[in-house]
Amino acid sequence: MSDDPPSPWSLSIRSSRSLLQYMFARLPVLAVALVLFVGPATAHGGSLGANARETIAVPTWLFLLTGGSAVGASFLLASFVTDRRLIRDIHGWYRARPFPARRVARLAGHLLGVAGLLVVLVLGYLGPSEALANPAILVVWVGWWAGFTATTYLVGNTWPVLNPWRTVSSLLPSADRAYPESLGAWPSVVGLLALVWLEVVSPLADEPRLLVGVVVGYTAFTLAGALVFGPDRWFGSVDPVARVFRYYGRVAPVKWDETADRLRLRLPGTGLSETRLVDGFDEVAFVVAIVWVTTYDGLVATPLWTGFARSAVDLGVPPMVLYPVAMIAGYLVFLAAYWLAAGYSRRMADSYRSQAYLARRFAPSLLAIAAGYHLAHYLGYFLSLLPAAITVLASPFTAPATVPVAQLPGWFGGLNMAFVLLGHLLAIWVAHATAFEVFPGRLQAIRSQYSFTLVMVLYTMTSLWIVSQPSVQPPFL
Amino acid sequence: MSTHTDEPTTEPIAAGPNDDYSVPADDETVVCEYCGAPFSDEAFRALHWGLEHESELTDDQREAAQDAFEDENQALRLFQLKALGVLVVLYFGLMMAYLLVT
Repeated sequence: MSDDPPSPWSLSIRSSRSLLQYMFARLPVLAVALVLFVGPATAHGGSLGANARETIAVPTWLFLLTGGSAVGASFLLASFVTDRRLIRDIHGWYRARPFPARRVARLAGHLLGVAGLLVVLVLGYLGPSEALANPAILVVWVGWWAGFTATTYLVGNTWPVLNPWRTVSSLLPSADRAYPESLGAWPSVVGLLALVWLEVVSPLADEPRLLVGVVVGYTAFTLAGALVFGPDRWFGSVDPVARVFRYYGRVAPVKWDETADRLRLRLPGTGLSETRLVDGFDEVAFVVAIVWVTTYDGLVATPLWTGFARSAVDLGVPPMVLYPVAMIAGYLVFLAAYWLAAGYSRRMADSYRSQAYLARRFAPSLLAIAAGYHLAHYLGYFLSLLPAAITVLASPFTAPATVPVAQLPGWFGGLNMAFVLLGHLLAIWVAHATAFEVFPGRLQAIRSQYSFTLVMVLYTMTSLWIVSQPSVQPPFL
Repeated sequence: MSTHTDEPTTEPIAAGPNDDYSVPADDETVVCEYCGAPFSDEAFRALHWGLEHESELTDDQREAAQDAFEDENQALRLFQLKALGVLVVLYFGLMMAYLLVT
């Protein structure tokens, strides 16, 4: 339905004025985000390196209230953009370019990916055992999980080319057994939750030998799966890592257009309002899982969690049960909140679009939130440890006398707050544009966003609260 | 009667094995005759006509779509006025909060 050309009266008579309204609407939001949050406070640096999150000059409640208000206000400001043609123009804008030396670049990507995997396996095992001096630790956490992941949503998803397991398995024979369709994306949901749980409860970022062990296990499992179901099916449906990068790639401005054999450049986030991006509840569940795991990762490093975990263990809950139970319970709360929001959206819009349909259509907007949260978590981490990674890769077998770690300026923490907010603002905009595709009424489209906006406001406040907390080592691990 | 033909140009939406729509059994629905999409209200169907089937509409339907669009303009303007009010309250409320605590 959304591909029909716009009809004459759907175009506002005041097209030019709407453009002004649009510009006017977005500028203050950015200004608010930048002015209010360029205060002190640094990000959570994961379990390696910087773990200082500075305190904020204003009281926490006011800080959270301001963050929540910025998201709520951007929803109200978006309600001034009701010109369907303008929205379509923004979301339909793209430039296409042929990609020079494509085969060479593809081959180089394959080789780089395989070389990276070999570096991790060989140097992780033979290199120094100190985390900061070991190439495998730095390649996996700094180069890959912080740096590469950021490129998938800031630039484009290159994982299908780099993915060493895909490269290797495509050279091997495949049994091409039929994948049970009823499983859908659920194995990747379970896989993602399991991987992040493992990352949180084990010293994966501190012990190179353990990391190598996990990578070997993942390699064996992934290659076996690709052998049985074929690489396309395995990395398209089951592998959680490939799915995370594919979903993040939808936020990105660059996309490879297979049919036209061209690179497409679009505005960041505009790909998220496309139809049929998320096809079933299993894929909705995966999007929510991406959002939840980044939250969980930060949540267990807060003092509040430490207090909670200590009292739970005092009551007799085994720590090894506490972490997975908290992960699953929190995930179900997130999923339920999103599902309820889809139901209220249907009610507020007085629409016969099903709750499941609305959940599918609006799920991609959450990916912008996840991307903003990832950037807030890992950009500082990446930049401060980049000198360490370069030094260590230059002498992979011997630990250097000192590992250089960059000291980030104090205002960097404010930048992280801005990333969290920008992710949410982009999500509000994407959801707004999607609503105008879904509903025939403009006011109806705005009203459909009440519940989603409320969920996003609460989620912004939660995320900002986590980022503002001092980072502590999760207990009992 | 202008360009309307009996052949719908789009696939029937409500038909087929999908769960894009769910209509409560006891609700009175208005259905789009071009694509089968159900609506809770005449106005929503008229707006849908204008957006999705503009080239196929009868003159009456075209007029209904125009009217629904203009009616909505009114409601939209009222909403935007309220939104502006909330924004002003939010802005000055936060400003005062910052003045008080810092």
